[in-house]
Amino acid sequence: MQARRAEMSFMKNAKELFLQNAREFGMYIALVVIMTTLTIMTKGIFFSPRNITNLLNQTGYIVVLAVGMTLVIIIRHIDLSVGYLSGFLGAVAAIAMTRWHVPVYLTIPLVLGFGILAGLVSGFLVAQMRIPAFVATLAGWLGYRGALQYATMAKGTIIIPNAAFNAICNDFIPDIPDIGILPGLHKLTLILGVLAIILFIISAIRDRRKMMRANKFRALSMNFFIIKLVFVSALIGVITLLFAKYQGFSWTAVVLLIVILLYNFIMSQTVLGRHIYAVGGNPEAAELSGISVKKITYVVFCSMGMLAALSGIMFASRLRSATTTAGQLFELDAIAAAFVGGVSMSGGIGKVTGSFIGAIIMMSLTSGMNLMGIDISKQYIVRATVLAAAVMFDVAIRRREK
Amino acid sequence: MAEATPVVEMRNIRKSFGAVQALCGVDLVLHHNEVLGLVGDNAAGKSTLVKVLSGALIPDGGEVFIEGKKVHISSPWGARSMGIEMVYQDLALAGNLDVAANVFMGREAVSTRLGPISIMDKHHMEQETQRLIDRLKIDISSVRLRVERLSGGQRQSVAIARATAFNSKVTIMDEPTAALSVAAIDKVLNLVRELKAQGCSIIIISHRLEDIYKVSDRMMVLRHGRKVLDCPVIGSLDEFRERLVAYIIGARNDFAEKGAN
Repeated sequence: MQARRAEMSFMKNAKELFLQNAREFGMYIALVVIMTTLTIMTKGIFFSPRNITNLLNQTGYIVVLAVGMTLVIIIRHIDLSVGYLSGFLGAVAAIAMTRWHVPVYLTIPLVLGFGILAGLVSGFLVAQMRIPAFVATLAGWLGYRGALQYATMAKGTIIIPNAAFNAICNDFIPDIPDIGILPGLHKLTLILGVLAIILFIISAIRDRRKMMRANKFRALSMNFFIIKLVFVSALIGVITLLFAKYQGFSWTAVVLLIVILLYNFIMSQTVLGRHIYAVGGNPEAAELSGISVKKITYVVFCSMGMLAALSGIMFASRLRSATTTAGQLFELDAIAAAFVGGVSMSGGIGKVTGSFIGAIIMMSLTSGMNLMGIDISKQYIVRATVLAAAVMFDVAIRRREK
Repeated sequence: MAEATPVVEMRNIRKSFGAVQALCGVDLVLHHNEVLGLVGDNAAGKSTLVKVLSGALIPDGGEVFIEGKKVHISSPWGARSMGIEMVYQDLALAGNLDVAANVFMGREAVSTRLGPISIMDKHHMEQETQRLIDRLKIDISSVRLRVERLSGGQRQSVAIARATAFNSKVTIMDEPTAALSVAAIDKVLNLVRELKAQGCSIIIISHRLEDIYKVSDRMMVLRHGRKVLDCPVIGSLDEFRERLVAYIIGARNDFAEKGAN
């Protein structure tokens, strides 16, 4: 009797584990399938070290927005203003360095501060004035578009001469001096990659031990665990090798790593993250439990504003200039990345890492199809199909869960 | 029995909404380890009365005493810090979070504080939640199940468990059995008995007289914002029901006069 109950409970938990992770598994599988297909169809060019490095550098400023957008959508709002806000703040950064002669190490925190300020304004409109986020941020979209045009009116394009600033999205981390082994590979990148794999395995084993102590049925699926370890380690290994074969990790990769690790940590391990999910799941319940929905809304919009500023800095750095059209439609790319990455419009569901994968999937499609010489018109249709398919998959899984 | 200090005493509570007088001077007493049933027709003032106690409404007049001390309850959060917990009719749970996260919502256990960022002690919260559902004999296979995947009865149990988890003095349940299946109702009523056995003091509002009869020690009838009956639950269910209905619909209205004499 006892044994049967334990067995039944195990089956239930195994099913639960699969259902809870079906979305994530599905997304990783989709990523692998898309990347493999594109690699075959471009005869390997897609997966070349150079292309993958470029891909990540091009996706960087969208990923940063998608991370912020994930939080905004989790609390059942939307932010349409971030594209032009990003463009405008990129122009502010350019003006600060070229006209106000602010040094680069002050320009970056200054612009990030402006981003938080912009988030405060959106937060005020949404949380305090109770204007629907769609409308409030649509106003922002118009306003920042105007601000961007005003800022770039004099010359149209503001060239940024600062080498350190332009390095953020164009250059690579330095290598250790050549000592004759592994010629042609970026050794510091390799070392960092190996360290990352070791750290990942150690922390995964520690988490599992903790889980075993808490609830042994829960952690029993050893096979799952090993598959996950091997898959993630291989993924980190392959990515590291790709970068090492080209010019090593780019600074963009470093920035993305920091942003994603930080946000993932906040969302999964801290009280703030838990409160954000609670507000998204049931705002009334959160309020009754003593969580200030208003405060959470402010925090989320401020974080979005700050990330929009970061995105603007990255884009301006990538182009080595600020242009009149910077940031155009970034917001929609970020929203699409979040939805492909499993964030739910109904609130409370979604992960930062998912949105990252979502952004990579969307950018892979663009990059691969560009390499294949597919016309831009068809590219949009393919990307539309992938977005719709991802969301349909999501809805189907969620319906089955209930 | 010697008159011990009641855990809650509300005196002459008045509250009106515009021209409508919802409560016209209602008294309520709840003793330690007692289950008080609160009944009345729609708009009799039951919900208004408990909302005053739980801090959701500020009364126009009257006094509230908790364990003999006069208190001013100005918000749900304030009520909670005084040990008054409310289980809401529409279940104040977040479906996207697991059982443990819901039990600890707004009161997360913290392991480390880094300035404004507090790291949660998830392990502790899960263990405590497991202990809680074991103690209350609630049938849930894992504290990591998301609440949206639980049945209505299980959700109600989680909501009740949450209300009693933090050494509350009084637990108020507003229609805990509404919208539940018969089997689920039994489970919830068992949970109420279990809580009483463990020393909780409970106010329970229900339209289902049967439920009140099964779990309450005493009951109170409100009609048009006035208390029309306050008596121990005794006798058979049929007698009880007949008597109660008479007061609820206003066929009998002799309690207040009796009290005055």
